[in-house]
Amino acid sequence: MSTTTATPQARMMRARKFSHAWLLITVLVIVALSAVRVITGVHEIDSTGTLRAAAIATCPILMAALGGLWSERAGVVNIGLEGQMILGTWGAAYFTYYYDPWIGVLGAALMGALGGLLHAVATVTFGVDHIVSGVAINIIGLGAAEFLAEAYFKNLEGGGVKQLTGLASPTEMTIPGVSDAAADIATQHWFVVSDLAAVVAALTSRLSLLTVLVPVLVVASAWILWRTAFGLRLRSCGENPAAAESLGVHVYRHKYIAVIVSGAMAGIGGGYLALVASSGFTTGQTGGRGFIGLAAMIFGNWRPGGIVGGSLMFGYTDSLTLRSTDAVHALLLLVGIGLAVYALWRLRQGRVASAGVLGAISVGFFAWFLLTDSVPREFTGMTPYVATLLVLAFAAQRLRMPAADGLRYRRGESI
Amino acid sequence: MRLSTRIAAVGAAAVLALAGCARDDNPGNGTSGGSVDLDCDAGGDGPKVGLAYDVGGRGDQSFNDSAATGMQRAVEELGATCTEGEAQDGEAESAREDRLRQMADGDYNPIIGIGFAYSEAVDAVAPDYPEVNFAVVDGYDPTPDEPNENVAYLGFAEHEGSFLVGVAAAEKTEADHVGFVGGVNNGLIQKFQAGYEAGVKAVNPDIEVDVTYIEQSNLSGFADPAGGKAAAAGMYDGGADIVYHAAGGSGSGVFDAAVEAGEGKWAIGVDSDQYLTATEEQKKHILTSMLKRVDVATFDMIQSVADGKPLTSYQTYNLEDDGVGYSTSGGFIDDITDVINGYAEQIKSGAVKVPETP
Repeated sequence: MSTTTATPQARMMRARKFSHAWLLITVLVIVALSAVRVITGVHEIDSTGTLRAAAIATCPILMAALGGLWSERAGVVNIGLEGQMILGTWGAAYFTYYYDPWIGVLGAALMGALGGLLHAVATVTFGVDHIVSGVAINIIGLGAAEFLAEAYFKNLEGGGVKQLTGLASPTEMTIPGVSDAAADIATQHWFVVSDLAAVVAALTSRLSLLTVLVPVLVVASAWILWRTAFGLRLRSCGENPAAAESLGVHVYRHKYIAVIVSGAMAGIGGGYLALVASSGFTTGQTGGRGFIGLAAMIFGNWRPGGIVGGSLMFGYTDSLTLRSTDAVHALLLLVGIGLAVYALWRLRQGRVASAGVLGAISVGFFAWFLLTDSVPREFTGMTPYVATLLVLAFAAQRLRMPAADGLRYRRGESI
Repeated sequence: MRLSTRIAAVGAAAVLALAGCARDDNPGNGTSGGSVDLDCDAGGDGPKVGLAYDVGGRGDQSFNDSAATGMQRAVEELGATCTEGEAQDGEAESAREDRLRQMADGDYNPIIGIGFAYSEAVDAVAPDYPEVNFAVVDGYDPTPDEPNENVAYLGFAEHEGSFLVGVAAAEKTEADHVGFVGGVNNGLIQKFQAGYEAGVKAVNPDIEVDVTYIEQSNLSGFADPAGGKAAAAGMYDGGADIVYHAAGGSGSGVFDAAVEAGEGKWAIGVDSDQYLTATEEQKKHILTSMLKRVDVATFDMIQSVADGKPLTSYQTYNLEDDGVGYSTSGGFIDDITDVINGYAEQIKSGAVKVPETP
């Protein structure tokens, strides 16, 4: 019967329906953004510069989230992402100074992977509680980076005990003609057209190749984890390691690989911070982005598409608060519209109570938007966190983490 | 367990290999690598000074180096000698106290703590050594009810210095639109903002001033170059052509943003003459810097002890005593120094009052 086992045909239909849904959501978001921009006249909300800044703010968070995905899919909670990221910033600075930025990226991955290895040794081999080991890695990462900076950067040109500035950046590319034309159209402020042009302009001018590498890594990770036998085995270690072991999967080895790759990803995120988002190493420059990445991964329901969405949301709101307080005010309207649409959808599904609550909150946002001229400064800093709370509050029941995530696994013992 | 032993061995080997990768650094190559030359023993029979640096110590190209410069001047002019101590990141309060006590027991006088973080330690140690004079740069008295007779708190009128760079920005802007990036939205940094805005408005009240703080209360805003770059890039994109930062380590991101924004976009540095420590690319975009003369305060304190009239209580270094100022490295503002100095005279005479809050 095809009710329990999906035929290939049915699966393809579902996949197509799924991608249609994403396409529809993307179009809706662009139209809504454009409408808000035109209504409020705050063009900064999706100008070329804002989108560029948002992309740059998103990448490190996305890399950390991707690191979290690798590790947690294999059943190891990695809250040491922040520490591995910090090690990555140092690695990027050291290897870029002596070689070139691409070796620097490798160095960042290597340092992050070392942090991951440490976490793997503690959690997989010795069965240490994942949280305890993760906290320790964050502390070690920070301390090690400070020590290494003082030991190696003190007497370098542009260096000091806490920084190494003036590093070269990975190659940037501009597509001549396209970038200028798109930027021109973007400044015409036409409905929808200019918004799309802004996206094109942001992607064709001064785009760092490292920024291109990040989505490539996301797609590659998704493919490896969900489309290869190795990925299936790795994920089985996160769902039911005892069963996987009984089927001949070397659980320890897979967990090791996952956590080391996880550290390398977070390390590249740190390298991105030091090489693209700024041009140098400063102690403490990660500023909690590893934790934000972890939140983005949870927000994204441990799925590649979801973590991209979560990271984009964090990156976008983060850059918006730094660029324009007017835009944050306009964002209230966008949130209001989004909630209203969601409420209508719920109503169509016949979930009246839920639709009512959402509708009321949406009206609240509209009122807030209409009755104020600006969002207080103290609030703008909270925007990313409020957004997470809102989304988690509405989507928590749909989240599903890997079944054996965070559990200690000992070969030969049942959990 | 044999597996784990093997892993530990590999790990240890990896650490050693990594350490082996280190190259011998050659200090002093290039323009910005050299730290301040301070020869503590070169002096004569002047005061024996104990210098307790904050985290970073000599070589930080900022606060501590500035204090060392003042010390070197005291060595040359007053025949002073000195000993140095340096705080470690995250060290216990007692470690700071021990450092100060060791200096006091070694008959050093005065003893100068660099950075507000020494305030508590000095307050604890000073009463035990009534004959020794202490000073804390940027410090405060944590127990105002029991003032210490032998402690000086050396503060700065940052708003006055910021006023002058605000004047420079207003004179140089072609878009009539400038910006300010603060590290953390607290009282100290608001002082910079207030002075800067007042300076800009004094020249031309129609100039628009964008203000952004990287963090509202989290101190990480002083070490977030990516945030500084995003904030400043937003201002340049929005039409501003000069951005002043009071954001510590995040400032390098502001300079990067000016470089990316291209010709005609400027940044203004803070605390020390940042033109001298910037990269070649950044130098073309650093209009001036607001100077906080820790060296002047340090020297002044030593001199007061040498003269037998040691400073005590709160001392504010303002324009009048060269405690704050602006830099002219790069020569970008040579044509308007008369205007800036004119405002400086008005502030000194009291004709212009610079606000401390925005």
